[in-house]
Amino acid sequence: MSRPTVTIIGADGAASGNTHPVPEVFKSPIRPDIVHSVHTGMNKNRRQPYAVSEKAGHQTSAESWGTGRAVARIPRVSGGGTHRAGQAAFGNQCRSGRMFAPTKVWRKWHQKINLGQKRFATASALAASSSAALLLARGHHISAVPEVPLVVSSTAFADAAIAKTSAAIALLKAVGAGADIEKVKKSRKLRAGKGKLRGRRYKQRRGPLVVYNPDEDGKELVYAFRNISGVETSSVYALNLLQLAPGGHLGRFIVWTSSAFAALDKIYGSTTEPSALKKDFLLPSTIMKQPDLNKIINSSEVQNVLRPVRGGAVTKRTLAQKKNPLKNKQVQLRLNPYAAAFAKQKLGQAKVEGGKPERVDQTYKDTLHEN
Amino acid sequence: MATLSSDLIWEITRGSSSTLVKRKQGGGVQFSRDPLNLRNQYRRKYEGLVSDKAIGVQPNKEGGVTLLTKKANKANQPSKQIQSSTFGSQRSTRKTYAGIVNSTTKRNYRPDLRKDAVARASAIRKSQKPVKADKPAKLRGAKARAAEA
Repeated sequence: MSRPTVTIIGADGAASGNTHPVPEVFKSPIRPDIVHSVHTGMNKNRRQPYAVSEKAGHQTSAESWGTGRAVARIPRVSGGGTHRAGQAAFGNQCRSGRMFAPTKVWRKWHQKINLGQKRFATASALAASSSAALLLARGHHISAVPEVPLVVSSTAFADAAIAKTSAAIALLKAVGAGADIEKVKKSRKLRAGKGKLRGRRYKQRRGPLVVYNPDEDGKELVYAFRNISGVETSSVYALNLLQLAPGGHLGRFIVWTSSAFAALDKIYGSTTEPSALKKDFLLPSTIMKQPDLNKIINSSEVQNVLRPVRGGAVTKRTLAQKKNPLKNKQVQLRLNPYAAAFAKQKLGQAKVEGGKPERVDQTYKDTLHEN
Repeated sequence: MATLSSDLIWEITRGSSSTLVKRKQGGGVQFSRDPLNLRNQYRRKYEGLVSDKAIGVQPNKEGGVTLLTKKANKANQPSKQIQSSTFGSQRSTRKTYAGIVNSTTKRNYRPDLRKDAVARASAIRKSQKPVKADKPAKLRGAKARAAEA
């Protein structure tokens, strides 16, 4: 069986004439639940511990005044000569007191995620990136993209051809990713809240992810792409779920170089052939061979074992007005085929045979009513 | 390239999608921004993003409507996926509806959406009519007498 193929497009955006079979990783099952939970865990692993000072709120020698002074028994700052003297201290409810449950640097910041799950999620996210519908659902502007997955010939990157940002932008525009870059540029907004003061001033959407093979495409393209907002680059050997499914949502728009695309089969192997680079890894196989429910229902295997439809061509017309069979002769005939003969012979009008019952004689009545 | 089944895509996107508009009002009503959604409701039947075949009816800039359809065999080629044809404002509304039906339902292309496609085209055409200016209010009573004097 010939595997489905992807056209490799040139630097000008036109098909180069070469094709490449789709790597096995694109057939992995798409599991949003696994991707979501792995993403949640991985997203926590970049966090920097923070905490309030150990001493905060405790840098005073306050002691409680005890009972009898008609004030609360909370510790109070000793001494006199300043406003601070006599003020309550330490408690979380006090001004300049310690916070409730002061944060500690030894909070559990990071999470262990099983390697198998991480690999499953990555494979799943890659498979989702090959569906135009999922890319659109993620919000990528791909209406000008010739094909998904989008594979650009590595000759476009050869000899550090893409070393300048202008060349990188021209390439992305040529392959139909211009709209997505434009979307990112327009999406830049000031962040709500304190994050603005903490080096996270702006929020913006994510654009295309350029995946390259450092062995063949070189690394100059990283410099070329790094100043285009929203565009990220990644080596095909170090794909990261946080880039493949940002926010835990499947369907990142990926621009592959042809050598990176070709390396995928080596990196991920298949469901039967172990990966060359990942230890003990087989691609997850799908549980359902055919996820299209209509196809399953209409398949000859299912249709052959079904009972034939009852009633044949006559279906119950739920929306039609009900006809009264006593008044409507056609409906009556359908319910009672004898009605035709009954009417024809005028049996309804015929006198009951035998006429009226005989009158009882007077002696009988008298006997009946005798006391 | 094998395409994903629309059932799978729907299961993935039914909770979150760029076209989905969730509102807390109206019992958490869910609308869609998809141009290929005839009712703007985020439902499996109407969501054009999900299905292989979908119909969209959009207003045209110069009046009239544009009919959008999805080519089922171009699911992986976004630039070629959408077929669009225009029914200008000069075309009578009846002929517009007939054109929409002839190019979709009559070719066995989403016959279930026939009514919605025609209804949307009709609503768009109606919205493109020039707005009639209100008649000046006829003064009555004391105001009328004052105006006459």
